[in-house]
Amino acid sequence: MTTATESLVGASTEFLKRFSPFDQMEPEALDYLSERVLLGFFSKGATILSAEMGQPRYFYIIQRGKVQASQSGDIALTEYASMTLGPGECFPIGAISAGRPSTNTYVALEDSFCFQLPADDFMALMRISPVFHVFCTQYIASLLSQSRQQLQTTFSQRAAEQQTMTTPLGQLIKRDPIFVTPETSTRSALEKMNELRIGCMVIADADSRPVGILTQSDLLSRIVLPAFDLNRPISDVMTPAPQVLPMTATAYDAALEMATHARRHLLVVDSDDKLRGVVSERDLFSLQRIGLRQIRASIEGADDIESLQHASRDIRQLALNLIAQGIGSEQLTRFISALNDALTRRIITLELERHELFGVQFCWLAFGSEGRHEQTLSTDQDNGIIFSAPEGEHEAIKKKLLAFAKDANDALAACGFPLCKGNIMASNPELCLTLGEWKRRFGAWIREPDPQALLNASIFFDFRVLFGNEKIGDQLRRWLLETARGNSTFLRMMAQNALAVAPPLGRFRDFVVEDDGMIDLKKSGARLFVDVARILSLRSGVEASSTVGRLRQSGQRANMAEEELDAITDGFHFIQLLRLRSQHLDTEHDAPGDNKVDPDTLNELDRRILKEAFRQARKLQLRLKLDYQL
Amino acid sequence: MTWLSRLIPGAHPPVQLTPEVRARLDIWRKLPATALDRQHVETRYVVVNTEASGLDLSKDRLLSVAAIAIENGLINPKLAFYQSLEPDPADALTGLLEFIGSSPIVVFNAGFNKRVLLNAMERVLDMAPELHSLDLFWLLPALFAERSQGASKLTEWMNALRIETFQRHHALGDGYAIAQLFLATQARGRILGHATPQALIELEHARERLKRPL
Repeated sequence: MTTATESLVGASTEFLKRFSPFDQMEPEALDYLSERVLLGFFSKGATILSAEMGQPRYFYIIQRGKVQASQSGDIALTEYASMTLGPGECFPIGAISAGRPSTNTYVALEDSFCFQLPADDFMALMRISPVFHVFCTQYIASLLSQSRQQLQTTFSQRAAEQQTMTTPLGQLIKRDPIFVTPETSTRSALEKMNELRIGCMVIADADSRPVGILTQSDLLSRIVLPAFDLNRPISDVMTPAPQVLPMTATAYDAALEMATHARRHLLVVDSDDKLRGVVSERDLFSLQRIGLRQIRASIEGADDIESLQHASRDIRQLALNLIAQGIGSEQLTRFISALNDALTRRIITLELERHELFGVQFCWLAFGSEGRHEQTLSTDQDNGIIFSAPEGEHEAIKKKLLAFAKDANDALAACGFPLCKGNIMASNPELCLTLGEWKRRFGAWIREPDPQALLNASIFFDFRVLFGNEKIGDQLRRWLLETARGNSTFLRMMAQNALAVAPPLGRFRDFVVEDDGMIDLKKSGARLFVDVARILSLRSGVEASSTVGRLRQSGQRANMAEEELDAITDGFHFIQLLRLRSQHLDTEHDAPGDNKVDPDTLNELDRRILKEAFRQARKLQLRLKLDYQL
Repeated sequence: MTWLSRLIPGAHPPVQLTPEVRARLDIWRKLPATALDRQHVETRYVVVNTEASGLDLSKDRLLSVAAIAIENGLINPKLAFYQSLEPDPADALTGLLEFIGSSPIVVFNAGFNKRVLLNAMERVLDMAPELHSLDLFWLLPALFAERSQGASKLTEWMNALRIETFQRHHALGDGYAIAQLFLATQARGRILGHATPQALIELEHARERLKRPL
């Protein structure tokens, strides 16, 4: 090195030493950095780095001036919409470590000088300097804790959106009521509708109490076709005694009224019965609830497979709409689960009408994700039956039940729940058992937890009663919890199994992807939570069958902090949401891409949240690892 | 060398150069010329600065030379040059010329800095190299009118653009400050439409004609 170079390198070193993490950095690493940084200048307003520039060529350390980092693209990310960086601060850490384009745009807020370290040298510096490595990884981690907060805001926002259906109608009214008196000529009433571009005209008396309504859809049948004389008063053609609701009624009430009476407009009156406004269907923005009600009503009223098939398509469509509206996965899976339950129950009820099973004590079980209330849209049916039979009638009853189950399985398949490839279905004689037989089956798995037994446990232990005598199911559950709890070898084996798959978090890259560049959100995402939750629930005797319920209840018993549990369940919900989003809802079940996500196609917020979610899974696994000394 | 040789131009004794220095200078002379119509980022510039025993061209002597190359619009510490004239002035100045190559040079206050350098080269190397040069003394006020506030000295410009260096009044230390000023000059020039060395040279000449007392 020439003396001149030494002097300039020394100048850079002196500068860098004033800032963290360079002040902590190993001397040889600092030398390495100072020798390789180039000094550049950016005029006020100049773009230093943006997504369009592709993979960043340099790592920048601001020497003088100010640089604004702002989220690029249309990703709404209010929290760090923009951030100002000053001397000693550096960017882009995440993008350059991961070798992908920056998601932030960096613009010089004033004339600024930046030290620039070529990307290759940055990677080398990460390798030679533990301090710098820690700095970069911690920086990325801090983004994740920010993303947690962001996650919570998003969820609470969504919860708030859900609550809008309880908004009083008084708050939904957007403008003063428009009405005409009954004596008004039909012509002038229609002219007014046209002029104001409103879909309906209210007719009210001198005290503004509504006496009638005329909507656009009435025009054809009442005025145009009969060639109604437009000089006649509007009262001759209006619908008298219109539907009214008080100001205090909720949006939900209004939606219900509209759905039951097939109306598009409702009049809102105050306590004095005076017209205060009109609420239209469009005003009730959260129309999904109506859709839900309608589907539910159509399921409960269906008396053949065709109408149930129709309802099943509606459920998928509804789910699609809900996802498009950005609803949280918790609500979404709950909706899907509730509707699927209703559908399944209706199918069973219909099949029972065709099968003579009067007096037979049985219950229909759902296993696996359906048993956990975590059905996504591409789950095939996993079901079974527990029955009881008096001495000597066992075979005859089982035969009848199997015939019924066969029809029920086929009907479910016709309604969009594919037959289970592994034959985990009630029509399988192995899965249509008495309580005693189920106990023997479960007991054998617990006593001898070979790999197959553990796999079975992971499906069948997540059971719940979908139809029939719930008490039989409760008996089986209590027996299972007692038996499993007492068998620590079994629980330990389950734990070992659950830890076999690690969350796909990378050290340098954000994520470890499979050969196809994708992350399997089921195998290396949701299942991590599900498996740990199952063990915790078995161990602590929690009866809940949903993963979140299990985590919450067993966590509370183990004195886990509320925030910690929130973080875990949020993480699980987010992965479920991504799974739902990535499913090809409009195509077939089990499409090859289902449950897979390419992390590079996620926006920055989702990437961060996903990483945080995996981190939560890792925490959960770690807990299990410590508990069982694995 | 006596005091007389400095007073009477052309009166200094004939220059004796070693064959090695002659060979180096020959190579330098044969370097292809640099295009002056390329964009700044495509042009290699060399910031040159000197340190003299004082500010009087007629009396004071060149003590050391420093140069910092600017490539791709960036200062790279590996591309820096510094040498005292003693003990071997011919080697120092030849080294400087080699470092400059055919790049346009950037100085602050050519009236002194370039002059003192050319004087030394004539005396020591017996040559008057033709160097395309840019003088920030003229260019900075032309490009940063709103910031100049009557600035003319290097210190004033450093303050105006908030530039620091590791050592003032040292050929390389001040050179580093000038190099940073030149980074700003390039960027500003590009914005204002002076995107090539040629454009900056013309801007400087226009400015010089305007300001220089007739």
